[in-house]
Amino acid sequence: MNIADAKDLLLKRDPGFWALLKSLTDKSTQFEELFLLSALRKKARHYKVEQPENRHRTRVAIVGGCNLYPLHELLEHFCEMESQSCEIWLGAYDNYASEIMEEESELYKFRPELLIVLPNLKRCVYTGALTDSTDAQRMEAARLVNSLLVLARKAHDKTQAEIILTNFLLPGAHDLGAFRTRTLGADWTFRKLVNLELGLSAPSYVHICDIEFLGYRLGGPQAQDERAWYESKQPCSADLLVEVAREICRLIVALKRAPRKVLVTDLDNTIWGGVAAEDGLEGIELGDTSPRGEAYKAFQKYILLLKQRGVLLAVCSKNDLDKAVEPFEKHPEMVLRMKDFVSFKANWDPKSDNLRQIASELNLGLDSLVFMDDNPAEIEIVRQFTPEVATILLGPDPSQYVSTLADCRYFEPRSITQEDAGRTAQYHSEAQRKALEAAATDMPAYLDSLDMEATIREFAPADVPRLEQLINKSNQFNLTTRRRTAAEVGAVMNDKDFVGFSVRLKDRFADHGLISVLIGRQSGEVMLIDTWLMSCRVLKRQVEDEALNELARLAKLRGCARLEGVYLPTSKNGMVRDFYDRMNFTLRSEAESKREYDLSLDRFQPIPTRIKIRQRTYESV
Amino acid sequence: MNQSEVIAKLQGIFDTVFLEPVQLAPTTSAGDVPEWDSLTHISLMLAVEKSFGIRFRVGEVEQTKNVGEFADLIVKRQNER
Repeated sequence: MNIADAKDLLLKRDPGFWALLKSLTDKSTQFEELFLLSALRKKARHYKVEQPENRHRTRVAIVGGCNLYPLHELLEHFCEMESQSCEIWLGAYDNYASEIMEEESELYKFRPELLIVLPNLKRCVYTGALTDSTDAQRMEAARLVNSLLVLARKAHDKTQAEIILTNFLLPGAHDLGAFRTRTLGADWTFRKLVNLELGLSAPSYVHICDIEFLGYRLGGPQAQDERAWYESKQPCSADLLVEVAREICRLIVALKRAPRKVLVTDLDNTIWGGVAAEDGLEGIELGDTSPRGEAYKAFQKYILLLKQRGVLLAVCSKNDLDKAVEPFEKHPEMVLRMKDFVSFKANWDPKSDNLRQIASELNLGLDSLVFMDDNPAEIEIVRQFTPEVATILLGPDPSQYVSTLADCRYFEPRSITQEDAGRTAQYHSEAQRKALEAAATDMPAYLDSLDMEATIREFAPADVPRLEQLINKSNQFNLTTRRRTAAEVGAVMNDKDFVGFSVRLKDRFADHGLISVLIGRQSGEVMLIDTWLMSCRVLKRQVEDEALNELARLAKLRGCARLEGVYLPTSKNGMVRDFYDRMNFTLRSEAESKREYDLSLDRFQPIPTRIKIRQRTYESV
Repeated sequence: MNQSEVIAKLQGIFDTVFLEPVQLAPTTSAGDVPEWDSLTHISLMLAVEKSFGIRFRVGEVEQTKNVGEFADLIVKRQNER
């Protein structure tokens, strides 16, 4: 299927056009192809070819020291293909500093939610002599970095927008010969220094689009295009422009969408060479005695590295369980061991069934899973029966496996929080906990045995990164699925009509950290429940009971007579469809798109739980 | 290749780049084609350079006034190879 097929489908007004458009877009690296695909997309809109609904529309401003056409065209296209519609505002050529610094600029009238800044590459040069002291050269790099971060802060303070800032492309031509490495004054070293400083000192609302890396990956000379600069002030070659737009789109999507959490791997010919059940423990290729064995071992090391970065690991293999387990327990060259996996499925059931089971065991959606296998038939089955699972087909050469996995880009860290770091440990103790649950005679006794302690706290600036993370990635236990940026969370904090609080939970197995968020908005004598969400790690632990107790307490303090809650269904939050019923709210209206409930506060009694509350909202410790 | 052969090949490229059919003649200019704006132009030039295997020099394409002159430029650059 190619562009001509897409054009045909478009002319026939066939809704299948959109899926083909997306797959062609994902595959293409050619500017003129993508441009054409983008034109087809606009045409299809015009023809009103039936399209899946675009859920989100973001106001994006782009400013910079280069021509922002046709970058915006590519960006808009990529975002549309990811169901992230953008309303784009473009700054004037090389006018970014004043657009950001002037209080009443058109930029600010647009009220961007996201600001993309492409600083002028031509200004990233050291103006002194190559032989100046490195201190003087470092100082100038620091000044340049600082001037960019000042702009970013100003724009952020004024709009609360997240900022995407591109760094600087390195030169592709020989200049200075090897002497370039002996000074910080060469374009090559000066830009590298600026890029390093920029990345290391940028605050969390700044997201770096790493053009240095993108250009390196494409190849220096292919990344540059001086003619395009002189003719129309393009920042780089058309090929690199494609990669830059794709990367910016990726950064935007990462701000809005939950990342993948679990890597599920096949075993035979995937993490070792050969078939364990046939070749036996001694026969499989693994370890430093052969090139192939070395490659498989390196792949295992990379998988272990992902685990250390917080990715959960699972196995899904067509095998007898004992044969599959044997290498993990007995092979001396194995890097991965049984303890590294949160789920281990080795049986003869279809892999799609096993993947469903893994997701359900971990209380995660299928769209949190990535599955990799060397067998195209298995990959195909998974794609067909569990399309939500991302798949990686590993080729015939194990030396390529590490880069194949890395280039899929499913497990890139975003903003790092403490909760991320300990996640595997938490899932492990979840397994221990399940064992205990099975042994306990009744639920109250089990809950008692956990020694749970909760801290309930009003929204606080230090919690904002985690609040934002939960608000944007919780899908299942989430009554309204209302997403908010850090700035919007801040706005809730500062608005007297709102109450926002979070719950942290600790037990004798683990500190779960901040796991539930509630936002209420008072309207007269009613407290409207804007947001109620909880991490699925703490399901059935009475956290929701304590959350309701707290919300009712706060609402009463404010003189409210009742709580009003709404359930807005999505494809993922079915588990809370009857949540308000379970919490003894009264159903007031029911439609396909929502269910509305209320709860009178005058006869509300706090629900007794087994959780010890260490601190409540607005109580300092 | 002579001018008319080049225009015939250009016709194929235009048919891919533009959604609405455009009948090219030596006298056709960007002003005659509603879809031919500065954005489409960049894309069109990349496609032309690739399919003819040539590279224009800085600034010379904008000196051409119509498809005929543009085709002549392509012939000239091809002959240099």
